[in-house]
Amino acid sequence: MSDPRYLPRILYIEDSESARSLVRRLLGEKYVVLEASDPLDGLQLAEETHPNLVLLDHNLPHMTGREAATRLSKTLPNVPLVIISADTSGGARERALAAGAAGFIPKPIDVDLFESQIEAYLNGRREKLDEAERHLEAYQQELVERLEGSIRQLSQTADRNKYLLQQNQQMFSMLERRHKLLEMAARVGQAVTSILDLDELLEYTVDIVCKEFNLYYSGVFLVSDDGQWAVLRAGFGEAGRVMLSQGFRLAVDDRSMIGKAVRLRKAQIALDVEGENSHFKNPHLPETHAEMALPLIVKSRALGALTVQSSRLNDFTEEDITSLQTMADQVAIAINNAQLMLKLETATAELVRTKTFEAIATATGEAIHWVGNKAAPIPASVRRAREDLSYLLAVLWRLKGSGVDMSPFNEVMQSALDEAQAGGLDLQKIAEEMSAYSPKRLSALLSVESLIEDFQIIENSARTILNIKEDLIGPARQIQAERVAIKPMLETMIANMGLPHGVVTLDCSDEINAHCDPRQAEQVFNNLVKNAWESLVGQPAPAIEVRAQRDENPQYVLVSVRDNGCGIPKEIQDKIWVSFFTTKGGRGGTGLGLSACMQIVNQNRGKIWLESEPGQGAAFFVRLPAALEVQ
Amino acid sequence: MTTVLLVDDEKLVLRSLEKTLLRAGFDVVTAVSCRTGSETFAQNAGRVDIAILDLNMPGFDELPKAGAGLDLLSDLKKQRQDLPVVILTAYDEVNKAKDAVAGGASAFFVKGREQGLVQLIQKILNQD
Repeated sequence: MSDPRYLPRILYIEDSESARSLVRRLLGEKYVVLEASDPLDGLQLAEETHPNLVLLDHNLPHMTGREAATRLSKTLPNVPLVIISADTSGGARERALAAGAAGFIPKPIDVDLFESQIEAYLNGRREKLDEAERHLEAYQQELVERLEGSIRQLSQTADRNKYLLQQNQQMFSMLERRHKLLEMAARVGQAVTSILDLDELLEYTVDIVCKEFNLYYSGVFLVSDDGQWAVLRAGFGEAGRVMLSQGFRLAVDDRSMIGKAVRLRKAQIALDVEGENSHFKNPHLPETHAEMALPLIVKSRALGALTVQSSRLNDFTEEDITSLQTMADQVAIAINNAQLMLKLETATAELVRTKTFEAIATATGEAIHWVGNKAAPIPASVRRAREDLSYLLAVLWRLKGSGVDMSPFNEVMQSALDEAQAGGLDLQKIAEEMSAYSPKRLSALLSVESLIEDFQIIENSARTILNIKEDLIGPARQIQAERVAIKPMLETMIANMGLPHGVVTLDCSDEINAHCDPRQAEQVFNNLVKNAWESLVGQPAPAIEVRAQRDENPQYVLVSVRDNGCGIPKEIQDKIWVSFFTTKGGRGGTGLGLSACMQIVNQNRGKIWLESEPGQGAAFFVRLPAALEVQ
Repeated sequence: MTTVLLVDDEKLVLRSLEKTLLRAGFDVVTAVSCRTGSETFAQNAGRVDIAILDLNMPGFDELPKAGAGLDLLSDLKKQRQDLPVVILTAYDEVNKAKDAVAGGASAFFVKGREQGLVQLIQKILNQD
């Protein structure tokens, strides 16, 4: 086997692997076969390795074998180039030779001849070209045509690129615009859904639509309860104001774009209103050239519609329509929310009213109960007193009848007895009955002590009832508000209440001054401290803490009365203010205290409330307007 | 002698009722709240023949409570099942009347006609 270093090198440029393997097989023994599948690689390889012969397939990517040959003949002038080609058309061989090839081997390769053909070329065989000039020209022509073709292709590509670039730019600006619009719509949608006041919401919507989309006019219609009318509820600018003041509305039918949009629940668009049948010519909006009506839909129900109008023709693009409808959907939700909020407020107000009535009814019932309770002993006591009186008179009658001299009362006694008789008292009968009683019974019947007590019962009961009037009317008395120094007022009040020493502590700085009626204020605090004291009955270490300070809000002062009792259960915390609540008799606990307190405090432009957890005492807070600081 | 347990937190009412009952020949023990009413009954269980309870007074927790009398009613009934009980109120409360009877009260009585109460007590005790 010969040393490969000395074997002739043959470069074969061929893109087909099967052809290459054939040649490899045929030439591999005697020669070193270098291969390249691409002419450009082949050219490079040729320059690097200086083969003794180059075989070129005619049908190569990027350039023809002839062109490669031409190039190679420049770089490797003395190296024979042989073109292998299946092209057996006339002139193919000639053109190959004109291109600079030393030889031309037709495909398919004749395997018997091939090796000797190659050897021949290596040894210097050069095929002659007859009429070389003609063929050269033809070849050059071929080259020129190919060049022109390439140029044409290139410029077409350049044009195409320019077009694509334009398209891209348009697409980009469209996307940018859409992005901006959607962003705007989303922003508006977000802002709008946070507005719960319906009127504010609608005004904001029409403003923002006109400003952001640079439009002539926008308006919002809401459908009336009977579904027959779309009533204008907000309108941009002067035209909007005028139409609103006229109560402008459109019927829900096909005569207007708004009506149609509501009825069909579909957007209505007129890029040129002149041509649109259902465009309603509005005298207030003469400059409308393009119009859109977008239904406001929530859960398949049209609440109304949004109109947007432009003074420019054809002003609404696909993007505008999309983003405006997106926004309209948001607005519809926001309107629904606002309407629901209204309903909720109404229902709540209704509930509060009902609860108030209930509370008042309860209080009234309790008031009746209370009065009944106070009045109940009166008739019985009167009856007892009358009975006792009749017994006494009977005794007197017996006394008279016994002939005792009772001057100077004789006459007046007789007339008294006659009156009793005339009044229906059968004194004789009563006296006879009494004679039959036991001494014990007699002393019970003739108890003056009992008589006095019964009168006391009558008096106390009646007085209690009368005193209620004072408590009821008290708060309604005209208030005379003035600057009141809280600390001295509370100190005096506490001192006058006469509670055991140390029970009540006062924490109040000198500068706390309120603006209120001092007598009424004192009444309130007195009541609160008294209530606290009464609730501490049975407590081993009763403590009442009275504190006065500036409120968080500097326009108010805050006074609190806190006790360490057992607290007030949640269930009655509301009731204590309204109810006539107490069952304690006598003057001490009329139970009107707290409701009167509340009336007084409210009248003095303050607020009173309770904070209490079970087992942790109760604290009443009274907030009153602070007196204006003296300059 | 027939003994009546009388419970009402209203002092004047209590005293007046007590005097009426005394003059009608009853013996009377009194109390002013649910708690003291229950205790007084326990202390005099042997001799109380009938209980007269106000409907609205401080409950067992000493706090004012509407209908607290019904609580005392069930408490006394637990102490003695066959004890006749009359519930008093200052004005008609029909629904409370039903509750009272359901709770075992023998009768429901509106305060104000104290003599009527005496007749009611006699009627109830004579029926037994």
